[in-house]
Amino acid sequence: MSAKAANPSRKTPQIPRRVVLKGAASLASAAVLDLIPEILRAAQAPAYLKGTKLHFLQWLNFLPAADKVFLEQTAEFSKQMGVEVQVERIGMNDVRTRAAAAISARSGPDIILLDNNSPHLFADSLVDVSEVAEAIGKEQGGYYALSQANACAGGHWLAVPQHALSTGWNYREDWLKEAGYTEFPDTWEGFREMGKKLKAAGRPIGQAFGHSENDPNTYCYSLLWGFGGYEVEKDGKRVVLDKKGTLEAVKFNTAIWKECFDEGGLSWDDSSNNRAFLAGSLSVTLNGPSIYLVARDKFPEVYHAMNHAPQPKGPAGRFYFLPTRSAAVMKYSQNQKLAKEFIRWYMAKAQYGKWFGVCETFMVAPTKMWYGDPVWTKDPKLTMFRDVMKDARAIGYAGPPGRKASESMAKYIIVDMFAKAIQGTPPEESLAWAAGELKKIYGA
Amino acid sequence: MAAAGGAGWRRWVGLYLPLGAVMLFTLFPFYYMVVTAIRPDREMYIPWNRPNFAPFWTLQPTFEHIALLFRETLFARWLLNTLIIAAMSTLISLFCGLLAAYALARLRFPGGGALGTGIFVTYLVPQTLLFIPLGDVVRTFHLANTPWALILTYPTFLIPFCTWLMMGYFRTIPRELEECAQIDGATRVQAIVRIIFPVAMPGILSAGIFAFTLSWNEFLYAMVFLSSASQKTVPVGVVSELVRGDTFFWGPLMAGALLGSVPVAFIYSFFVEQYVSAMTGAVKG
Amino acid sequence: MAEVRHNASSLPLSRSGLSVASWLRRLRTASATERREWLLAFCLLLPAAVMLSLFMAYPFVRGIWLSLTNTVVGQVGTFIGLQNYVILWHDDIFRRAAANTFIYTAVATILKLALGMVVALMMNNLLGFKRILRASMLLPWIVPTVLSALAWKWMIDPTFSILNWIMYQLGVIRFRVDWLGGPVTAMVSVILVNVWRGMPFFAITLLAGLQTVNPEVLEAATIDGATALQRFWKVTWPLMMPITMVVVLFSVVMTFADFQLVYILTGGGPTNSTHLFATYAYQLSIATAKLGEGAAASLAMFPFLFLVVLFQLWYVRCGEGGKGEA
Repeated sequence: MSAKAANPSRKTPQIPRRVVLKGAASLASAAVLDLIPEILRAAQAPAYLKGTKLHFLQWLNFLPAADKVFLEQTAEFSKQMGVEVQVERIGMNDVRTRAAAAISARSGPDIILLDNNSPHLFADSLVDVSEVAEAIGKEQGGYYALSQANACAGGHWLAVPQHALSTGWNYREDWLKEAGYTEFPDTWEGFREMGKKLKAAGRPIGQAFGHSENDPNTYCYSLLWGFGGYEVEKDGKRVVLDKKGTLEAVKFNTAIWKECFDEGGLSWDDSSNNRAFLAGSLSVTLNGPSIYLVARDKFPEVYHAMNHAPQPKGPAGRFYFLPTRSAAVMKYSQNQKLAKEFIRWYMAKAQYGKWFGVCETFMVAPTKMWYGDPVWTKDPKLTMFRDVMKDARAIGYAGPPGRKASESMAKYIIVDMFAKAIQGTPPEESLAWAAGELKKIYGA
Repeated sequence: MAAAGGAGWRRWVGLYLPLGAVMLFTLFPFYYMVVTAIRPDREMYIPWNRPNFAPFWTLQPTFEHIALLFRETLFARWLLNTLIIAAMSTLISLFCGLLAAYALARLRFPGGGALGTGIFVTYLVPQTLLFIPLGDVVRTFHLANTPWALILTYPTFLIPFCTWLMMGYFRTIPRELEECAQIDGATRVQAIVRIIFPVAMPGILSAGIFAFTLSWNEFLYAMVFLSSASQKTVPVGVVSELVRGDTFFWGPLMAGALLGSVPVAFIYSFFVEQYVSAMTGAVKG
Repeated sequence: MAEVRHNASSLPLSRSGLSVASWLRRLRTASATERREWLLAFCLLLPAAVMLSLFMAYPFVRGIWLSLTNTVVGQVGTFIGLQNYVILWHDDIFRRAAANTFIYTAVATILKLALGMVVALMMNNLLGFKRILRASMLLPWIVPTVLSALAWKWMIDPTFSILNWIMYQLGVIRFRVDWLGGPVTAMVSVILVNVWRGMPFFAITLLAGLQTVNPEVLEAATIDGATALQRFWKVTWPLMMPITMVVVLFSVVMTFADFQLVYILTGGGPTNSTHLFATYAYQLSIATAKLGEGAAASLAMFPFLFLVVLFQLWYVRCGEGGKGEA
């Protein structure tokens, strides 16, 4: 049934597939399962006019190798289908601008890789891709909550999740050892104690609190949630930022700012902590594996000395804010069917697996099947990243990750709440400010 | 001209030292860009308070960043694109602006005042307001992803600028010049072309220089209206291909910045010379 | 013996031509030469009018319409009148951005004018190295803003700042300065980079203006016993006023609507202390997808810029009042 849902244009393949399925549930058959669409496609008359162009706008991947693999796969698809798929890669915040312009002009790329909960923002302009997304979900063990929350609204899939960016605490094992720690602390209080010792030794923790896309949000939202605070109730209307653990979070953060952090963090963007860590001026920072992978190439002494650890547990638990990316098909596209087929194809196990392996844990897959992929265990220092999706939450918690949640994040309300307190505003005041801003957004 | 007055200390304190300080302030970042462009990656990540922080030089210069710029990106193509787009939009704007400036500065006609204001008012409209509806227009005319999308949209902020600048210059030219030419038998149009335009050359050159620079620098429209890597302009291309997530390729970025501006400055140096001497000539003649 | 004369139609907002009745009257009573002049004017203005109508009129009108609706990306909005403006008026961040923009523009323009004038005066007196100085003077202005902003970002990054290093070595500071980290220092930093970028524009144009100042007048003043400062204030400055006003006007408009520099350096932070109209409008339009509000924030700049334009025109007219025709 999934095959039919994934590709309504094909009429024949149902029976052979079921026969194989009912046979051995071995890896071999799984591989054949993926090959069959290809084989049949090759034998079939081309379903698309030669020269049909498909334009896919996505971000420039941190890993050139991953982009290379994706482009090779794209070329393969193009050849097989007799079409031309053009992949354009630019910075992620530029993708957002292009998406807004394309939707307003009702013309532009056929597929756009949207970030976080952008699919909700543009819901009216996106094609329902439930059949593709659900097929992939069924095939690959179901979706993680975050991926689903960001791409699915009211039971309809607005985009097909492609990946999430992993995050973890990057730390210098050697310096932690010198401070008396053989393991990264698992609670925020322990984190604080460790930070004090590290900063006293001239090796502070680093965190950005400026207006950049990822790092400030990754830290601030997860700290907020860890202490039990959150923005709105489930109904998506009542602002409860000032009701639950938020004040504790803000007070805690202000304290550790002075005690543990590199106080340049207010001017940092997403890349500053990478640079500072590689330069040896930080001992600990929250980031994806991008530091590790650059260190492997260029800074061997940092590479050998560093490791990764999960988020500490707060009173309310352990949470992550992870940026996600999902591929959306635009309603104005003339090639919606082809677009869906392309997505289905590159998300299929054979293609995705290859790409995912090359991504070296920088990405986390949106589906649960990939938890057992060998890429996680190739390097023990990177293994922890496979668990982050389980504790990941979407913004706007506990309400839906809709338009208002986006506005709150785009205006950096949560980040500025922490930043203001760091700059000297009393925590109650900065909390009141943030709650006031949220009420304006949600109340309106 | 001003008295040259020997190489007295006054000249040093009053002229050379301050000028030197200003030049230092102006050019130091470029020196820094040059050093960064040839500095190996390992050396770039040294914090300022380390003893081996050597900001002003590098002992192991490398050309791999420049090589990367040309090898991995289409930098040469972007340079060409930007050059063509800037040149053509400047020419269009100068043409439109010149004619409009003459009409507004010299001719009497009803509604001239309102029109002059109208043209200037369009200059006040910010690009952040226009770029989304303009995308609509660009797509309607099928200009998307071609240099024409920029060549035809840049004049929207270049024409008002050129017009007003040249209006100012036209006003400083005495009417007698044209009137003499007309008394001598030239038609109005001939008077304009043969007499006025050469005299207004400094104004035209300065408007041209500024228009070219504004086009060269533009980012928002170029980012929104162009999508293929081979069509991009230097600012958009460099930023979109040398910034990957949270990793900046500083060496190639700075190399791109330098190579994207030094040639233009070099070309300008000829025009500035001509323009200033034309100015001086206009005063004397 | 250049005498600057203005006729009514070259001054915008002239009193003539404003009422339809007076228009028609003039049309009817115009002479043949006048009509020919009108035809010539029409032809000369046509290219500019065509370009601007095609690519400016529609987007501008559309932009105004957007600001009066609650449009979000992908959805057609409904007319809500001035509600966006009301929302912005009560918006804490918008008010901050407005204040920031005024401060940013005022301080940066004054600094650029002062520095540019000083540089122009110095370069005017220079005898050698003219070409290379002028070319290198232009470099900050030629480098694409995004790229020079990135370079500056690294030059003032707290971990790697070469500025901190220099100041520390010179003994000016004992602890590092987090240039972009505090609300005041961040504003100082963006103004500094703006001045660095924009000063060449002033210097080169004012230099050209200086060269039109008749040296005989200055010599006469020297003979009369004026000091250098008096020569500048009483002779040079007034003579350069027209071109100074043009340059200041353009610079104010460009600085007021500045976007790229702040976007790259701080993104409006920290805590909105460097947000400008343009960066906030962009954030509203793109990040929150609220095109209506974003358009309103962009248009909010308009009245102030218009006032600046009016001021400049009034100043010019008053200054030339003695010589102008009614």
